[in-house]
Order: sequence, then C-alpha cells, then structure tokens
Amino acid sequence: MENRPLLEVENLDSGYGFLQVLWDVSLTVDRGEYVCLVGPNGAGKSTFLKSVAGLVSPMGGRVEFKGNVISRLPGNKICRLGISYISEELNLFMGMSVQENLAMGAFTVDDKSKILETQDFVFELFPVLKERRKQFAGTMSGGERKMLALGRGLMSSPVLLLVDEPSLGLAPQMTATVFRALDVLKEKGVTILLVEQNVTRTLQVTDRGYVLEKGKIILKGDSKDLSQDKHVRKAYLGI
Amino acid sequence: MAEVIERARMNGFKKALDVLCLTPLGLLCLVLLAVLPLVPPFNQEYLIRWMVVGLFMAAQAVAFDFTGGYINIVNFGFAAFVGLGAYTSAILSVKLGLSPWIGMFIGIFPAALVGFLTGVLTLRLRGIFAAVMAWFIGLAFWGLATKLVFLTEGPLGLNCPTLLQTSSNLPYFYIILVMFMISYVVLKRIVRSNMGLAFTAIGQNMEAARTSGINPTRYRIINFTLSCAFAGWLGGFYAHYYGILMPDVMHTSKTIEVLVVVYIGGRASLWGGAAIAIPFVFAMEMVRSVFSNYPGLNLIFYGLFLIVIMIYYPGGVAQFYAFLTERFKASRLVRLAVGNRLDSP
Amino acid sequence: MTMEKSQSLQLDQVIKGLKSPAGITIALSIVAAVAASIDNGFYVIVNTIVTGGMWALVAMGLALVFGVMNIVSFVHGEFFMIGSLTAYFTFTPFSDYLMDNPHPVAEALLPILAMLASVIAGIVVGILCELIVFRPLRKRTREQWVMNSFVITLGLSTFIINSSQFVFGTDFRGIVSYWDYPTLSIFGVYISFDRFLVFILAMLVLGLFWLFMKSSKFGRAIRAVSQDETGARMVGININGIQTLTMALSSALAALAGACLLFMYPAYPTVGLGPLYNSWFIVILAGMGNVVGAAVGAFVVALLQVLTTIYIGEGWDYTIPAACIILVLIIRPSGIFGSGVRGILDQ
Repeated sequence: MENRPLLEVENLDSGYGFLQVLWDVSLTVDRGEYVCLVGPNGAGKSTFLKSVAGLVSPMGGRVEFKGNVISRLPGNKICRLGISYISEELNLFMGMSVQENLAMGAFTVDDKSKILETQDFVFELFPVLKERRKQFAGTMSGGERKMLALGRGLMSSPVLLLVDEPSLGLAPQMTATVFRALDVLKEKGVTILLVEQNVTRTLQVTDRGYVLEKGKIILKGDSKDLSQDKHVRKAYLGI
Repeated sequence: MAEVIERARMNGFKKALDVLCLTPLGLLCLVLLAVLPLVPPFNQEYLIRWMVVGLFMAAQAVAFDFTGGYINIVNFGFAAFVGLGAYTSAILSVKLGLSPWIGMFIGIFPAALVGFLTGVLTLRLRGIFAAVMAWFIGLAFWGLATKLVFLTEGPLGLNCPTLLQTSSNLPYFYIILVMFMISYVVLKRIVRSNMGLAFTAIGQNMEAARTSGINPTRYRIINFTLSCAFAGWLGGFYAHYYGILMPDVMHTSKTIEVLVVVYIGGRASLWGGAAIAIPFVFAMEMVRSVFSNYPGLNLIFYGLFLIVIMIYYPGGVAQFYAFLTERFKASRLVRLAVGNRLDSP
Repeated sequence: MTMEKSQSLQLDQVIKGLKSPAGITIALSIVAAVAASIDNGFYVIVNTIVTGGMWALVAMGLALVFGVMNIVSFVHGEFFMIGSLTAYFTFTPFSDYLMDNPHPVAEALLPILAMLASVIAGIVVGILCELIVFRPLRKRTREQWVMNSFVITLGLSTFIINSSQFVFGTDFRGIVSYWDYPTLSIFGVYISFDRFLVFILAMLVLGLFWLFMKSSKFGRAIRAVSQDETGARMVGININGIQTLTMALSSALAALAGACLLFMYPAYPTVGLGPLYNSWFIVILAGMGNVVGAAVGAFVVALLQVLTTIYIGEGWDYTIPAACIILVLIIRPSGIFGSGVRGILDQ
C-alpha cells in the first residue's frame, strides 16, 4: 500500500464531446513529489489536469488517487478527497472579497480553527492578500489574482496540488514569487503537479517531468535528465 | 454550380414543386387537405371549423418560426402583433366602413411598423432579453386594447363585419388555406435564399456572424418586420372570421399556443409546426369535447407535451421526419449496393 | 487632515453614486413619491412601500434563479399562486373553527402558520420542478440552455395553472383579513393591520435572506455558483445541490408573498400572472440577476404603479410601467443597476 503512488493515471483518453485531445496518457506522482508536465500549446496539458480534477470527464482509462478510482467522480467530490486544482483562468469569484474567496476555498472544511490556521499560513505566504482582505477579486491585478487563486486552492489543505500555468502573463518578479511559494509548499510536504510553459525554470525546480505532445506522453524522466535531453533542449530550451 | 445544373435538369412538375418549396409528400398532403372538407365525415361544419382554426394556427406557426427558429429570438409578443393587425382591420371596417378585404391588407402596416420598431429596440440585446422586451411590448399593447375602450370596446368585444355573408365555414377554409400557402411559400423562399443563411448564422452565433461580414442589425430588423407583417395579415383574417374581437387575442397565452405548436413541430423548419397544427388542434378539441366536464384538461396536456418534447426530443417532428428519411435513404442505398454487387461478377 | 480627506472622499462617492443611472432613478423616484404625496396625501408613500416590499420578495427569487441557474423563468408566478392556495386552505378551516371557539393566541398565530405552510409548499414544488424538469433538461441541453429552459418554464406554467384549475376550479378563494385587529394610523394614513404586519414580515424575511446570502456557508456557495460555476466546482461545491437549494429558496419566497397577499389577491389559477409581470418589470429594470437591485427596483416599480393608478386610472398599471421600462432599456439595456458582473448581491 505504502509504495503505491499517490496519483496514478493509466491510459487516460480524454476530450470534449467528439473531440479527443488526450490519447493513452499514463503518469504517476508519488507522495511529496514535485512533478511537472511540459509541452507546447494545445498539447492537452490543461485538459489532462481538468480530467484529473473531474471538470472534464475522461473517455477512457483510469485515474487513481490514494488507491481510489476517481475517474468517474464529479469535480466537487474529487476536491473533497484532497486534490486542489488551480486553473489557468483562475476561476475566482470576482464579486467577492479576498477574504470571502479564501473562505470559499475552505468550503469542504468544517473545522473553524483549522480554517483560521490555513488562512494564516496563506497570509504568511502571500502577505499582499492580507493587506487586501476586503478588496474585491475583480479589482485586483493579474499577479494578485494568481496569488489569490493559489491561496484559495490551499484553503482546503490539499494533499495534491494541480497547478496550471502559474507564470502565464506575469512579470518576472511575480513569477519568482509564485515559484518561491510553490517551493515553500513542497517543503511543507504538499505534492505538486505543475503544468508550465517556462520549461527552463520548471525543470530546475521540479524532481521529475513528463513531456506531452499532441496529446501523448513522448518523454519522461528526472528533471535533470530531461533538461539534458536533445529533443527537449531543441524544442523547449532553444539550445 | 451543381445546383444550377440540377435545376436545369428538372422537369416542369419538379420545377413547380421547387417554386412552391414542397416535397411530393407535402404536395400530396396539401391536396388531400384541400379535398378533405368535401369528403364525409369531414364535411360537417364543426370539423371544418376545426380545420380553419388549425390552418390559422399553422400559418401563425410559420410566421413565428421565421424568427424563433432562424434568428433564435422567441418573439414572445407574437400574439400582440396578430392582434394589432386584427384590431386595425376591424376598427377600420367598423368606424370607416372599409371593406374587410382591404382592411386585412392595411392591417399589415401597423404590425410591420411595430415589428420594425421592436427589431430596432432590441438590437443591442441578447436573444433572451430581446424576447422579454418583445413580451413587454406585447403586454403594453394588450393593455392598450383593454383600455382604449372608445376604439376597441375593451373586454366587451368589438363586433366587426365578417369577410363573407355566409354561415358556412367552407369558403373561409379555402381563404385561410391560400393565406397559409402564401405565408409558407414567401417565407420559405426567403429562408432558402442567402438571407436565410444569414439568419441561421446570426441565430447560431451572432459574434461569429458579425466577423464573417453579416450585418446582424440589418437582418434582425428585416426578420422581425417580415414576421410581424405576416402576423398582422393573419390577424385581419382572425377578426373577420370570428366577427368579434377581444383584447385577449393579444394575451401571452395565445403566443404560448403558437409556440407549443412550433416547438413540437420542430424549430427552424417552417413546415414542422404547420404540419402538426391541424392534427394538434383536432386532438386538443377532441380532448376538450370528450372531457367536457373537466375544462382545462387539454391545456394540461399542452404543458406536459411541451415539457416532454423540450427535454427528450427538442428537434420535434421535423427532426423525426429527417431521421426517418435518412433511414429510408440508407436502406435504399444498401439495397442498391448489394444489388450492384450481385450483378457484377 | 485625514478625517477631512476621507469625508470629502465619501462625499465624492455619494455624488458619483447619485450621477449613476441607479442613483438618478432612485432620486427621481423619491422626488416623485414626495411630490405625489404632497399632492395626494401620504398614503402614496405608504402604499408604495407596502406593495414594493411584496414585489421585492417575488422579484428577488426571480433574479436569484436567473443569476444562479441561468433560467429565464416564466413559472415564477405559479409559485405565488401555490403559496396563496396553500395559505387559503390552511387558514380558512382553522379560522372557521376559531370563529366558534375564540382563542386570542391561536387567532394571532394562525396566519403565521398559514404562511409557514405555504413556504413549505413552495419549497416542495420548487424542488420537484428542479428534480423532474430542470435537471433532466440540463443533462441534455448544452448550447441553447437559456432559450430551452425558458420555453420549458412556459410549459410548466401552463401545466401548473391548468392543473390548479382542474383540481380547484376557477373560484376566487380569498379572505377578508388575517388579523381581525383595528386599523392603524401612521402619519394620518389609515392602514390595515394586515398590511402593516405583512410588510414588517416581508422586511424581516428580506433581512434574513440578505444575511443568509452574505454570511452563511450555503448562501455564499449560491453566490459563488452564480459568479463562477467552474470555480465553485473546483472548491468542492456540489452544483446540483446548490441549484436545488436555489430553486427551493426562490419558490419559497414567491409562495410566501402569495400567502402574505391573500387578503388582497384571492387565490385563483391565474393569480400568479400579475406578480410575474411585475417581477419581470423589476428584474429587467434592475438588471438581470442582480438581487439587491431587484429589491430596490421593486419599490420603483411599485411607485410607478401607484402613481399610474392615481393619475391615469385603474387598469393601466401594466401598460405604463411596461412603456417606462422599455424607455429605460433603450437608454441602458443592462438595466439601471447593470448586470456587468453576472453575480448576485454584488455590484
């Protein structure tokens, strides 16, 4: 039992309606690991995360989390099991304040003191959120929204964090902040599956990586090895 | 190109059918319908009356589907436009002594004008808001018809001359049959043209239509105006068929009646609603007369029908027909294919 | 220094608020109400406030259903009707009994019981509608959801109205009053005890509702679903459950309004149409899906109707408001409070 991976995806096929995007994708993430999934635009990375998070229902294959099959569960149940998904579009509640957004993130948690504790942790991680507690999410800048989305995702104290393109559209400084936050989370023992376009940086910080192209996994391995790989260097690192 | 060649190859009969936008089956049904009131047991007055009501419903369904099915805006004030034509014609004939035959055509203008204005007013609104807006306009006119007693006699009803000095329903049957055919052919030909394509494009995705060079504003207004013009014309018939006109002709429930027929018949086909109008009216009248002790039972069925159709078969009868013909063609193709193989060594 | 600055900032905000369409409308309405009450007596304002409170209950439910479930509902008036029917059938038998055996406490509490019964009836019917009709439709309709759900509410409305007629007939079932207490006099205006208490009740319910939406877990979840459905699913909210809850809440509010107004609008099959028209005027005027806007808009529309009845005459009270709202929409299609944010309770 102990040596089973935390997340185990086997032969996943997925897509929207008649449009299949993913073919036979297999991937595993062990407890406490920091894994990345890289690939070009339109390769199906986001679809993969959405399929795991239960927002897109898979066409075939199996997704197992903590030994339970979750590929047929709706998104809200998957969230309760301890998977938190931070989407590219963030999906914040624009008409709610920062505080309310965080409270919504803890929707599945009933223990009040636990919620406060997590909230303090989030505020420690992103002090700017504490300053802007009362501000509406809709009036915040892109970087602040990204932090809020991450913070909201953390409020349910997830075991596994699925992060979709955290650096997209951010200034370098903000990107650094976000990556630092992810490092802190990893230190705290949160398992992270990261989808990124900033391949250089991603391969520097993560333990292992998968390369997804045209809906199929074409490469996998330790991040260090991947960054030495000929194909990766040519296609993503521009060397 | 291929279409042109095909057109050229058609013989006279096919050409005529094409002009009338009918399939051979459709023509057969029409001919049957035309002789039906002469054949017993259908030659009884009350059955012919049902048929007149059914045809009136069919013609309204065509005009309604022209907006609802194509540009995808349910004209929720539709009955008010019918009523507008009806009242115009009736008032002209009562107050000015104008012949109902002329009044019927004059009734087109106010309905078309208000339809045009509705189109202009709802331009900036999304589909559903446009529907609600049209509904408000309908409500406003319904209120006017109730309150402008000096013109409309209000809820007491406005007595107006009928088209003919006869108590027989048969002439009316042929009048409304012709009116129905005119509505159908004119609107169907428009729908088949490039303009129809533009309507469909707007109905499916307004932004996409706009970016591909279609001017949604213009087409929405044209569509609304035309549909309302026909509604007004049909209203004229209504007034001079019954000879009495009440504000409730504009009531929302009348719109819903047409809407039910169009949705069960199948949207965006024009013929779907028309085809089921007469059977539908017959069925409803039967229920009403069989269960005459339970008024309103037929309307319960109305509601149920609509709910079930919307959930389980939103394409309606038209979609079912398409499915059947597909099946038929497929089986014929299979037979042809098999036959060929048998012939060849 | 800072005090001054913050004060001037507040003043700026007030001026800015007044210049917005909502501010202009509200200011105009208040001026019109005051002018009319100087001209015609204070009862104009009292009438406006009392009926406005009721329409607020109905319209907020309508706005809620649109905001959360994206349903343009035509069936909302039927919940009102069901509420008034239930209240009638709960109230009259006991009331007849109490006529013979007077009991002051029971007499005072009976109307509340009737209203509770209608709220429960509203909840039950709302949930049934969601489970039997809207959920199957949601599973099958993707693209044309707004139009299709609208049409299906037409079918539901026809079905419920005629079933009610089928079962209960077309009789008007009304009561003279809930509480047989003497009329009150407020600022020289006589107002029946019923109207007064019912208004207080409506305001109480509005306040509770607002609190629920603002600070309870499920109220917040409802708002979350209306603002971002995917986001709501991501944080673990069961969308189906929230939609059922929304439907139940909105129909309960309408049913409560129906019960409260039983002494003014007797129960009969199509009694819901008037409230439906009114609440649509309100919702469109305020901006679709804006619940707070609907509560305010209710008073504007109520004033419009009171003024119409006084200065133009009985029976014009749909035509004139409809015309006014069409005019407003020509200038500002998104309603006076705007519906830029597809949220509720938040502007």
